[in-house]
Amino acid sequence: MSDETTGRLGGLKRTVATIAPGESRFETSNTRDANVETTDMTAEAGQSDVATTERNETESSSSGGVEMPTSDRPLGTPRVDDAVIEARDLDVFYGDTQALNEINMDIPEQGVTALIGPSGCGKSTFLRSINRMNDLIDVARVEGELYFHGKNIYDDDVDPVALRRKIGMVFQKPNPFPKSIFDNVAYGLRVQGKDDDVEEKVHTALERAALIDEVEDQLDESGLDLSGGQQQRLCIARAIATDPEVILMDEPASALDPVATSKIEDLVEELAQEYTVVIVTHNMQQAARISDKTAVFLTGGHLVEFDDTNKIFENPESDRVEDYITGKFG
Amino acid sequence: MARKSYQEKLTELRGDVLYMSEVVMERLRMGLSALEQKDTELATQVMEGDSEVNELYLDLEQECIELLALQQPVASDLRFIASTFKIITDLERIGDLAVNLGEYTHEAKHDRFPDVDVQAMGELTLEMIEDAMLAYDEEDTDACRELAERDDNVDQFAERASGVVVRDLIERELDSPDEVEQILQDVSRLLLTIRDLERVGDHAVNIAARTLYMVENDDELIY
Repeated sequence: MSDETTGRLGGLKRTVATIAPGESRFETSNTRDANVETTDMTAEAGQSDVATTERNETESSSSGGVEMPTSDRPLGTPRVDDAVIEARDLDVFYGDTQALNEINMDIPEQGVTALIGPSGCGKSTFLRSINRMNDLIDVARVEGELYFHGKNIYDDDVDPVALRRKIGMVFQKPNPFPKSIFDNVAYGLRVQGKDDDVEEKVHTALERAALIDEVEDQLDESGLDLSGGQQQRLCIARAIATDPEVILMDEPASALDPVATSKIEDLVEELAQEYTVVIVTHNMQQAARISDKTAVFLTGGHLVEFDDTNKIFENPESDRVEDYITGKFG
Repeated sequence: MARKSYQEKLTELRGDVLYMSEVVMERLRMGLSALEQKDTELATQVMEGDSEVNELYLDLEQECIELLALQQPVASDLRFIASTFKIITDLERIGDLAVNLGEYTHEAKHDRFPDVDVQAMGELTLEMIEDAMLAYDEEDTDACRELAERDDNVDQFAERASGVVVRDLIERELDSPDEVEQILQDVSRLLLTIRDLERVGDHAVNIAARTLYMVENDDELIY
């Protein structure tokens, strides 16, 4: 009888009783910004310039411009069958600083596409490129193409305000107008002259934003009196009231508590049945939970990997992405 | 900034799993030795030592659960923890099979089939566990694939051994009811021993299969 452990693994020899946990013979080898809804106007403190510019654009937009294509009436042919947004060699510069570097990405219609990456990697810049929010920054310059239903949105004949009616946006900090709940949602409809059936449309938007049950009896009360989570859902209701095709979300739950965050996440999944949602988040678990596709931007404005979310979080191709999502750097 | 404490916990988990594998292999060695030497005292030690293996299993299971709950691992870290979760179950089962050997020792009074080399089969399976754990530690996917092929040897060994026993049973002329009863017990125990060792080989292959998944996200050996 022998109570000694022997083997090739570590070449050591000792009694089982002497091996303490952690003392294995095996030598381990591993040891943001402007607040512009689909119809513009919203301003946050410090962002009034953007909002003002946007309002001016709204005013001038009534003079015309090319109508943005929709899935029913495409102006061009999408380069990828199910892609609603296609970036081709997209570069964005802020003065001399390059924020996005040759981005090529096809965002499929409907579903949720998450943009993740460390601070300053360009994910918010890319999000803002999709509805030309970067136009509002004087030093911003865009090169390359970004197609929406096959039409390059940076063509001279594209009206950014019309574009933003199709591609709405929800921001990190809830930013309801200092108006009643009803008027917050009705605002975009009225600006766009969609005055018929406003009551029904407001009700539907609040329903889709999973807020109606909580505010049905207080539609005349100020949107500012709602909780943070409710305010964010009000902003989502406002964004979808005008029936956009794409909803851009810039860290929409980062200022909310876990319960409100959970409601927003449920809502995003619900909205993705009908809309194309593109969401920027610093919360990788949130991206993993709610998105169908994930794009990982890393330092230098490079899109390093874009794939199905489960692929990214289970077995990414790029070692840099692996290191980022496992917290080894970033 | 990298999550240092998290990475340290992953390294610690790996080390603890390797430690558990050593304990389990030692139990198996002791079980085989007890069987060979008809050493009932050693057999009792193996049986009583199973609680230590079970406690190790529960501790490591808890480590995995805490890492999943608190660190929300992804990518290779997730595959490592998911694989480890499965591997510790295989190790715990090997520990149970070693206990069986201890029980058989208490029942076996003599070797009725000296031609069936249980010890050689046991050595084969022990080498497989050791190689599987080495592959896990060194993330050696070639070794994982090689190990799966090697399991065929153990299966063939088991098949041949079972054939020897059954043929002997058919050909043997039995004189008394007592002799019939005794030989049935001996045959039954030997067949169970062969089956248990064959299962040890299967668990070693499971460990290799989970290691291959852990390293390459490849589930070809998982069945």
